Amino acid sequence: MSRPTTSRLAAQDLTLAYEDRTVVEGLDLEIPDGKVTVVVGPNACGKSTLLRALGRLLKPRRGAVLLDGAELARVPGKQIARTIGVLPQSPTPPDGITVADLVARGRQPHQKWWQQWSEADELAVAEALRRTDTADLSDRPVDELSGGQRQRVWIAMALAQDTDLLLLDEPTTYLDIAHQVEVLDLVRRLNHERGRTVVAVLHDLNQAARYADHLVAMKAGRIVAQGRPAEVVTAELVEDVFGLSSVVVPDPVTGGPLVVPARAWQPAPLQEEHTRSTTRP
Amino acid sequence: MSRATATAAPPAVRPAGHAVLRGGRASFLVHRRSVVVAVALAILLACAVVAYLCVGESFVPPTEVVRVLLGRPSPDELVVGTLRLPRLVVGLLAGAAFGVAGALVQTVARNPLASPDVIGVTHGAGAATVAAISFNAVAYDALPYVSVAGGLAAALLVYVFAWRRGLHSSRFVLVGIGVSVALGSLTQLFLTKGDYLVAQQAKVWLTGSLNGRGYEEARPLAVVLLLAVPAALWAARAQRGAHFDDDTAAALGVRLDRLRLGLTVLGVVLASVATGAAGPVDFVALLAPQIARRLTRTAQIPLLSSALTGALVVVVADLLARRLFSPIELPVGVLTAVVGAPYLMWLIVRTRSRSGGTTS
Amino acid sequence: MSPSTRRRAGWLLAGTAMLLIAVLLSLAVGSRQIAPSEVIQALVHGGTSDDAQVVRSLRVPRTVIGVLAGAALALAGTVMQGITRNPIAEPGILGVSQGASVGVVCAIAFCGVHTLGGYVWFAFTGAALAAVGVYAVASGGRGGASPLKLALAGAAMNAFLASLVSGIATTNARALDEFRFWQVGSISGRGTDIIGQIWPFLLAGLVLVVAMSRGLDALALGDDAAKGLGHNVGLLRLLGALGATVLTGASVAAVGPIAFTGLAVPHIARALVGTAHRWVLPLAALLGPVMILGSDVLGRIVFPPSEVPVAVMTALIGVPFLIALVRRRTVVAA
Repeated sequence: MSRPTTSRLAAQDLTLAYEDRTVVEGLDLEIPDGKVTVVVGPNACGKSTLLRALGRLLKPRRGAVLLDGAELARVPGKQIARTIGVLPQSPTPPDGITVADLVARGRQPHQKWWQQWSEADELAVAEALRRTDTADLSDRPVDELSGGQRQRVWIAMALAQDTDLLLLDEPTTYLDIAHQVEVLDLVRRLNHERGRTVVAVLHDLNQAARYADHLVAMKAGRIVAQGRPAEVVTAELVEDVFGLSSVVVPDPVTGGPLVVPARAWQPAPLQEEHTRSTTRP
Repeated sequence: MSRATATAAPPAVRPAGHAVLRGGRASFLVHRRSVVVAVALAILLACAVVAYLCVGESFVPPTEVVRVLLGRPSPDELVVGTLRLPRLVVGLLAGAAFGVAGALVQTVARNPLASPDVIGVTHGAGAATVAAISFNAVAYDALPYVSVAGGLAAALLVYVFAWRRGLHSSRFVLVGIGVSVALGSLTQLFLTKGDYLVAQQAKVWLTGSLNGRGYEEARPLAVVLLLAVPAALWAARAQRGAHFDDDTAAALGVRLDRLRLGLTVLGVVLASVATGAAGPVDFVALLAPQIARRLTRTAQIPLLSSALTGALVVVVADLLARRLFSPIELPVGVLTAVVGAPYLMWLIVRTRSRSGGTTS
Repeated sequence: MSPSTRRRAGWLLAGTAMLLIAVLLSLAVGSRQIAPSEVIQALVHGGTSDDAQVVRSLRVPRTVIGVLAGAALALAGTVMQGITRNPIAEPGILGVSQGASVGVVCAIAFCGVHTLGGYVWFAFTGAALAAVGVYAVASGGRGGASPLKLALAGAAMNAFLASLVSGIATTNARALDEFRFWQVGSISGRGTDIIGQIWPFLLAGLVLVVAMSRGLDALALGDDAAKGLGHNVGLLRLLGALGATVLTGASVAAVGPIAFTGLAVPHIARALVGTAHRWVLPLAALLGPVMILGSDVLGRIVFPPSEVPVAVMTALIGVPFLIALVRRRTVVAA
């Protein structure tokens, strides 16, 4: 019983739960086509869970995720894998695998037992390596790469899958700031070059504001606000979602919203010491 | 970060060490080193087979052996064709089956220590077979089915007891060891039930001995192996999916649970039938895949090379078992254990505390 | 007496009662059922009826040996669990019993030793070598001796040693029957002379265990904490290992390899009286025989008139226990 949607990927009345607790309840979301959507929110708000459901890594308890109007659960896995590429949070590469081999695995959804390595496969992998600037790393074992390089390789694998949609679960965790920018710039570029729809979960609100076309703020399994960053990111929202009082100033480089914590730390007077709260961003 | 200028055609990209065969729209990937290793193993195996048939209480020159094998009349036909050949055939087939079974189960468990013989499958097949013999419950031809049922039951037991919100590889192995011991004891239990003669035979059978095996035992095994060939071809491809963590595999559209079930069932069936034919020859299922993998240097365990290595191990071990203390024959299981157990210990020392991961 | 001490003493009393019941059952039950009153008659008043003969000459020695072996193995298991801080350590699982078997078999096959007083020393050597080997393998590599590695190393050692015994037995056809005992442990068919020869060694093992029993409590807190409390950790381990080896070796020399007694009994004892070893050890010594005698009685009534060896029954009882242990998350530290 799904309602018609205007975008290719959408969630309708989605309820997601792990064994003992419900994480997301009755959520509706339409992912705008051809744009970069970023989902933000505090820890355990359900953003990663939502992304995994969108990528069919998690089956919904109730409701449905729709791809081109059809319920994900009814579509064969390989077909989904040809349309939606997912980069999960902590992927583990098989031991000793080289970059080229790993990226080549991304072609699996397109292969059959009698079509194990077609020319299309070769082209797709070569393209993926080129687009992510990992072609010169192609013979090196993935275990030996730096964090930023490894993340680019995983993105290359998702790229080789040649999908119209790309879902990324916290692609910048554990990376230093230069590598974070490297990865996010790449993601933006992938969207720009082919109009790929990208959905990413980021934990850094400012990065999200910088790179998103469409920002979705979640709290406790519900969507609190969504829209363009300039409209959505306000001090009230930050207070509401993150519980942090802040000041939103224009980013000196992009002009978009930049969130800055409102209060600098000051030593409290002696008698109030033990009642001081310790919320820090 | 500099952009690569891609005006020239991209260089040929393919998984490392593979060659591509294309014809029309079909394309096949072939790992070069694996092919070389398989051919070398096949040659070694052929030599071992000839040596096996030559050596014995009476030495038969290789030329005569070849004549018998080719079906030409020869004075040594009795010795080679009737005495040694049937036993060799059972050993070959059982070794191949154990090799493949070990490869499959180790791949699914993502742990080289989780081999069908370590986790109790072979003991389950053994217990069921001995029970059937002791209680005189089943006709002789139905014994292979009993073995398979026993092996599957044992695997199911281990799975059920080890599953607790998912399957941790280490708990799986520990429970497997426990079930293995219990089934071994159960087998002993059934032995005391049966009559003395049966008990004696069964005891020898239990250490894995090829003594007295012939074409009767080989037939069901050959049939299963033949039927297993297309399944093995599927498994060889499907193995690649088993390597990833659960999320990445799902993202690639791999039906991980179905895959694991299929691979495991195939492995258990092969190990059980081989046990039914040759008795529980320990450690072949553990050793052969690991040796094969180290030879081909691939991330995933090569099925054909595992089969060839398994066959080679059994043939060589049985040859030694027959001749080392002649005229007394050792059970082949003793030799494989004497080599295999220290190897297992070495594997334990080398084990990196890799979390086998949750599979469910 | 404090309530907890009263409770623990109560359990010791219960253990003694269970032991007496087990002894009575062992004397009464079998292919020839003998009523308990007759048993007591035969013991106290002598008598030459068939039943009395059976009780005195067959079942009494069997029961006594069962008691001794059960106590020895349970104590050995308790000590092993204490010094390795590993909940699944015990002589059978770690291959120590099998090592003792190999020692005995070698003594008989290669050195022509046929008396218990002679081959028991080989049993000690075999047990010690196996223990050292298993522990070395399990602690090698990263991570130290986790339960998994210890169990695997034990399984590997067991398989290796069992195949050695099998090989020696097959090539030594003359003594094939004699070797049966050392492949599967059993308390039937062992005469009273065994008791006379074995008890000094068991006593020696007991003394060693008692000597380090207080240190066991400290060891449970960790090596550093134990050192901080003034114990010599190395010496404690050595004494404990020696005691466990002697107890295991003597037991195997008498009845063959019996597994799982040393696994389940210490856990049960600890569940009843807490972790203080001055309570656990006595209770284990009481419950071990209960398990052995119980298994033996079961073995007699399962497939009459054949008798299932004790080792088989203890494994069938012990493995579910092992699996239950493994399922509790505390054991698995992969």
